[in-house]
Amino acid sequence: MKTDSSAKLQADQLHIYRSGKEVLSGISFTVEGSEVYALLGGNGAGKSTTLLSFLGFLAPSGGSLSVDGVDVGTDLKAVREAIAYLPESASLYEHLNAYENLRYFLQLAGVPDDKAAIEAALDRVSLDPESRGRKLKDYSKGMRQKVAIALAILRDTDILLLDEPTSGLDPNAIDEFHDLVRGLADSGKTILMVTHDVYGACQVADRIGLLRGGKLVGEFSAPEGGRIETETVHRAFSNRTTRKEQAA
Amino acid sequence: MSATLTIAKEEWRYWRRSNLALAVVAVFIVILISVSWLTALRMHAESHERAHHQADSDQTFHSQPDRHPHRMVHYGHYVFRAPMPLAVFDPGLDSVTGQTLFLEGHRQNSATFSASGSSADLGGLSWLTPALIYQVFAPLLIIVLGHGAVTRERESRALAPLLAQGLTGRTLLAGKMLALLLFVLLLLVPLVVSALISLGSGESLLAAASLVGVYLVYLSVWAGLALLISSILHKRSSVLATLAACWLALTLVLPAVAVNVSSYTAPLAGKIEMELTMLTEVRDLSDGHDVDDSVYDRVHASLLEEHGVDRVEDLEVNIRGVLAGMAEAKLTETLNVYAERRMEAEMRQADLLGGYGWLTPALAVAVASRTLSGTDLDHYHRFLRQAEEFRFGFVQGLNRAHAEELSYIDDINRSRDEESWMRARVDASNWQVVDEFRYEPAGASVRLASAGSSISMLIAWLAVLSGMLVWTGGRLKP
Amino acid sequence: MSTFGALKRETRFMLRDRAFVVWMFAVLCFSSFAVWSGLAEVRQQYESIAFLMDADQQDRSVEFSKQSDWGSAAYYSFHLTYDPPSDFAFAAMGQRDASSWKHRLRMLALEGQIYEHDPGNPELALIGRFDFAFFAAFVLPLILIFLLHDLQASERSAGRFDLLVASAGSSGSLWWRRACLRSGGVLLATLVPLLIAGIFSGTTGSTLISAVVLVVAYILFWTLVCLWFASWRRSAPVILASLIGVWVLLSTVLPAGSRVIIERMVPIPTGAEILMTQREAVNDAWDLPVENTMGPFVERHPEWAGYTHSGEGFDWGWYYAFQQVGDQTAEHLSEAYTAGRVERDRLAGLFALAAPPALLERRLQNLAGTDMRSVLAYEGRVRAFHSELRDFYYPGLFRGDPFDPGRLSDLPQFSP
Repeated sequence: MKTDSSAKLQADQLHIYRSGKEVLSGISFTVEGSEVYALLGGNGAGKSTTLLSFLGFLAPSGGSLSVDGVDVGTDLKAVREAIAYLPESASLYEHLNAYENLRYFLQLAGVPDDKAAIEAALDRVSLDPESRGRKLKDYSKGMRQKVAIALAILRDTDILLLDEPTSGLDPNAIDEFHDLVRGLADSGKTILMVTHDVYGACQVADRIGLLRGGKLVGEFSAPEGGRIETETVHRAFSNRTTRKEQAA
Repeated sequence: MSATLTIAKEEWRYWRRSNLALAVVAVFIVILISVSWLTALRMHAESHERAHHQADSDQTFHSQPDRHPHRMVHYGHYVFRAPMPLAVFDPGLDSVTGQTLFLEGHRQNSATFSASGSSADLGGLSWLTPALIYQVFAPLLIIVLGHGAVTRERESRALAPLLAQGLTGRTLLAGKMLALLLFVLLLLVPLVVSALISLGSGESLLAAASLVGVYLVYLSVWAGLALLISSILHKRSSVLATLAACWLALTLVLPAVAVNVSSYTAPLAGKIEMELTMLTEVRDLSDGHDVDDSVYDRVHASLLEEHGVDRVEDLEVNIRGVLAGMAEAKLTETLNVYAERRMEAEMRQADLLGGYGWLTPALAVAVASRTLSGTDLDHYHRFLRQAEEFRFGFVQGLNRAHAEELSYIDDINRSRDEESWMRARVDASNWQVVDEFRYEPAGASVRLASAGSSISMLIAWLAVLSGMLVWTGGRLKP
Repeated sequence: MSTFGALKRETRFMLRDRAFVVWMFAVLCFSSFAVWSGLAEVRQQYESIAFLMDADQQDRSVEFSKQSDWGSAAYYSFHLTYDPPSDFAFAAMGQRDASSWKHRLRMLALEGQIYEHDPGNPELALIGRFDFAFFAAFVLPLILIFLLHDLQASERSAGRFDLLVASAGSSGSLWWRRACLRSGGVLLATLVPLLIAGIFSGTTGSTLISAVVLVVAYILFWTLVCLWFASWRRSAPVILASLIGVWVLLSTVLPAGSRVIIERMVPIPTGAEILMTQREAVNDAWDLPVENTMGPFVERHPEWAGYTHSGEGFDWGWYYAFQQVGDQTAEHLSEAYTAGRVERDRLAGLFALAAPPALLERRLQNLAGTDMRSVLAYEGRVRAFHSELRDFYYPGLFRGDPFDPGRLSDLPQFSP
């Protein structure tokens, strides 16, 4: 099978069924190294399905998926080791503090836990040093998000998959988060995020794929040194909701 | 392997930080220890009391004055069932079977005075023993702790990132199972203490260790079940409700239902019913009181011929004693046929009941536990058989004294006057035929063998659950 | 009208809940199985009694045909006594599995015979059968707990709670209605098999009504407990675990503790003491002067004061006199044993007030005539019958009435 050697993530004619319904019907896209790619779509467009299939949680009924040139079906372990994944609404243990959470996940991932590295990662996501020893149940959503990203940084994988990373964050936290994501991409990480936030996607992504009804209906690229224009994407996105299209 | 350990350690850390888990475990431990303590005290007192009564009874028998030996046959003797060492953990049938057995000539009495017959009746569960706590209530504890094992990861949305970073479902389940197994080991500490104590009072290491092993397998079955349901169902509330329903069905409903079915499909004739059936057969046999009974005419004649005399008065032995011995032997043979028949029927019913262990491990462990502790039906029957053998032994010893040490003339003239009455007796040294009754339980290896089928049921349960866990682990999805 | 509409709406809503329907079906099965096997057991016991009465009669007539004096007739003839199951025993077998409800006695010392045990299989008695009383007292509350614990928590976790309360106006009546409908369904599934079985086996109306009232009150109690816990602002698993804790406390811990306390409070003589005292008295009499026996005997039966020992050796009158004196000697122990059991049972009834499952089981056993008091009442009837036997034979033994086999047909009959 054909794999583009420079592509970090590649979906080719991907078809996926969930409980007897086709949720992805033949989508293809690639994400290059050091790129932020945003899959944009409304509820039920198939965004999270795409992410989960890259992790091997959902098996495609047609087409292929590869991560770093490796087919997802053939070597799931290698694929998962290459990826750090942040599910929607960051998900770590509430009864543990930031250090304990990080250490636990790192141990399971087989990454030696280095105190200095953990501090550095928490610094990098700018988590308030006083909060680091408190249990996560006292954290705000943005703080939890930061710990989850620190984990991704510490695992030092090339690829990050983010599921609706900004939903539920306040505007300041969103800005902070976007800066962090851009910084990570600039330092060589490949990032695939799914979101329904048009404005956010335009701010942070190098490219945007527009998903609708399980199909990729458009791709937008940022001009050299600039950002994708929100207006264009917004028009394409909200098209879906016109009555005419729904009737058709 | 290290990932498994990390997960197990994390599970323990979660429990340590969960107030609910700590509170439940604390309450359980308090109840378990107090019940173990009370049961040990009770069994110790029982053991003491029965030994005391036994000594009393022996002493009374031996200190009877010179007497007509047949009087002593009717005077009879009492034996008491000494509790087994492991009864401090599982008293088993001890409370529902009689503890006192009156042994006399011509009759096989039933063991009387069970503790349950004179106790305050507050429902079946009020007979709390350490064994019952392990069989019925420890599973609840495992459910409370184990039901969240995987569901909690799902609900806190940690399962997806865990699996996404390369952890396999099987490793995750192995870690959780390890944590639960360590908890099971902790739960077994009071049992191990009871087992050690029983070693001190003469129990064999094999029986005590097997008992601990059986409960280890049983509680592991529950740990496996909790983990399995936790990884199959997604909502924590439905996991707990499902497990609680399984618990209700397996520990409370099915064993009792099995009792109804067994007693219906293999009905048991009562003792009196069996006695009356037997009577038609025994009616033709004499109890030996009457020497002229036609059944013994032949014996009579052959005895005279054997000794070359014409009259019974000229015999060297007292024919009344000889005949009493023969009648006793004949009667006992018949009585034993029926007693065996009844015990077999009881065993058949009990085996039928034990077979339902394939359906519920709670029944399998209960049977295995009683068998290993030596407090099961088989041991109760052993007591009855040994007591019967003992009874026959001393009755025949007295009949021998009757035949050999009491002259026929004195014997038949005993009611003539006060002096004859006094002459028709034998020396009290003959009362030594009643030896110390010592109940011999089955050896540990015999007990282990007879617990075999129940143990294999438990192992089958564990094997099936392990297989299902391995299968589920391979397909674990967030 | 609006209440009726609300009930209709909630009923329809409830019947769409698959878990509820499954549990209802389970309750119906459990209850039917319990009463069905209770009826089967009662039938077996009646068959057994019929066989015993017949065989007992035959055995006695064979024995009588061989006897030629009052003493031997009394010595060789046994008499069956029994306590037939009541018309409600199918619902609560109670003590019938553990205590004797049938005896075969003769006119020897009663204390040596009345404690004879004719039990069923102890292995089965230990586990206990699945009768209606066990089902209602122990299993039913757990099912109610499963059905009611997440009444509010499930709505909360699904995020519908505020919406529901806002729509329903007053939230209290909403939960009440839902709880009552669920409990009502369970109640129906529990009682229908019981009532059918009761009518089928001709249970007295008042007994059946009392049983229904008890079960209704019991279900109401658990419904209230569940509702109270369900209103906690906690997650469903926490509420469920707490309710199961309450169940364990009420059905096991409190009864077990009470039993230990009661047994400490009311010591009773051991059976061994009664038996050995009685035996010593009977056996010593052989070697004692006749007056030693006749003295205490005549004290109890002045009417036989004129009796004189017929000779130096054996005499039936004397023999039966010392059998009776054996009973008299052990009387204080035997009475203490009975009084101890009465007192323990009374205290158990008192302590059970704090443990509703034990209370319900005891009340049902009481209705079914299978409780400790019924056992003691049966023992009382056995004692009365035994003394009737003595009254029948004593004139022959102590007044020297000539033996008349025809009179044996006037023997007292045991009436249960």
